[in-house]
Amino acid sequence: MSKSLKLSMAMIVAVLVALVAAVTFSRAGDEATPSDSGNGTSEPLVREDSPRLTSGKEATFVEYLDFECEACGAAHPVMTDLREKYGDDVTFVVRYLPLHGNSMNAALAAEAAREQGEFEAMHDQLFETQGEWSHSESSKAKTFEGYAKDLGLDMEQYRADVKDPAIKKRIEQSTQDAQELGVTGTPTFFLDGEKIEPSTIGDFETKLDAAIED
Amino acid sequence: MPRSKTDPATGMPAPATSARGLGRLHLIGGLVGLVCAVVLLVEKIELLKNPDYVPTCSINPILSCGSIMSTPQADAFGIPNPIIGVAGFAALATLGAVLTTGVSLPRWLWLATQAAVTLAVVFIHWLIYQSLYVIGALCPYCMVVWVVTIAVFAYTTVHNLQRLRDRATPRGQRTLAALTEFRGAIVTGWCLVITVLIAIRFWDYWVTLL
Repeated sequence: MSKSLKLSMAMIVAVLVALVAAVTFSRAGDEATPSDSGNGTSEPLVREDSPRLTSGKEATFVEYLDFECEACGAAHPVMTDLREKYGDDVTFVVRYLPLHGNSMNAALAAEAAREQGEFEAMHDQLFETQGEWSHSESSKAKTFEGYAKDLGLDMEQYRADVKDPAIKKRIEQSTQDAQELGVTGTPTFFLDGEKIEPSTIGDFETKLDAAIED
Repeated sequence: MPRSKTDPATGMPAPATSARGLGRLHLIGGLVGLVCAVVLLVEKIELLKNPDYVPTCSINPILSCGSIMSTPQADAFGIPNPIIGVAGFAALATLGAVLTTGVSLPRWLWLATQAAVTLAVVFIHWLIYQSLYVIGALCPYCMVVWVVTIAVFAYTTVHNLQRLRDRATPRGQRTLAALTEFRGAIVTGWCLVITVLIAIRFWDYWVTLL
């Protein structure tokens, strides 16, 4: 075996040992300090200004969504049912990860509606009409303005809020937090701070039941 | 290439590199890189046809090329990166095939190869930086391309440096001999540094998988 090959093997072994040691060490550290910040409502997963659809005390459920993502649209009826069933016990939080052409416009519309207390209505409206406005090259801001009007919002205020940099900043913060959390797709769900990947509605319910039990 | 040449500085046999050996590396590296670039290009086209398409390489939130393909960095020079890869690796594989026959190539072609692999290695390190620290996700096929590019760059550079041997000072010659002897270890170490950076960058995620 050449010296170079021996050196290569030695380096690989050294790195492996270091990684194993680091994992062991960090796990030992985890056990010593139960770093679970309680209810999974800490930053960057949930921020003070993150929109909440319900405000239960037993658990926190976060959905990273994109109003234009088809999978999120498909999950919407399920999420609505869960919200109805568990809304009293569980806080349902929405975070944004705008990945499509009109995702940002839609998120801005939801946030502007939220300024007037109509977040949930706009949220539901955007998902229910997703097929009508998604996959478009051009801006659908006018369509969303129409929804705002239908909801009876103060349109002057709405138009100002949609353009408000502070409101846009919230959505950008959400995207940044997604990166930090390693969220790269939508919908991504977190239950009490832990990422969950339920495959069926039953899965969701089992997990929510367990979280409420805790 | 015979290994009987002695190093004038040390009197030890000088490790030499062979153009045929380098040719095999270019051929294999070029083909592997080509496969990755073609897959990435096909996935990119699928993604363009259907924005909700989930590429085969999107395995988890960290190993996910779908999100990476949608970033501006994926078209660094205004054209999709895989197009550069398809062209570059095809050329590399062809060059490798020619080298394995043992023909000697003109100086300009070696210089052009050196320039190309140098640009390639700079480019992939920019991509590594973007992937780790800006986008925050990894694309498995791209990582194969990183490794191939680093290996091809290191071996090609060491091979081209051999031309300077006769003109170098004794110290330069010793350095060159060491570089040549340990070029494999250099590539290993280089890849390990990137591995460690990846481990650190996504540490919180990796530990959740255990």
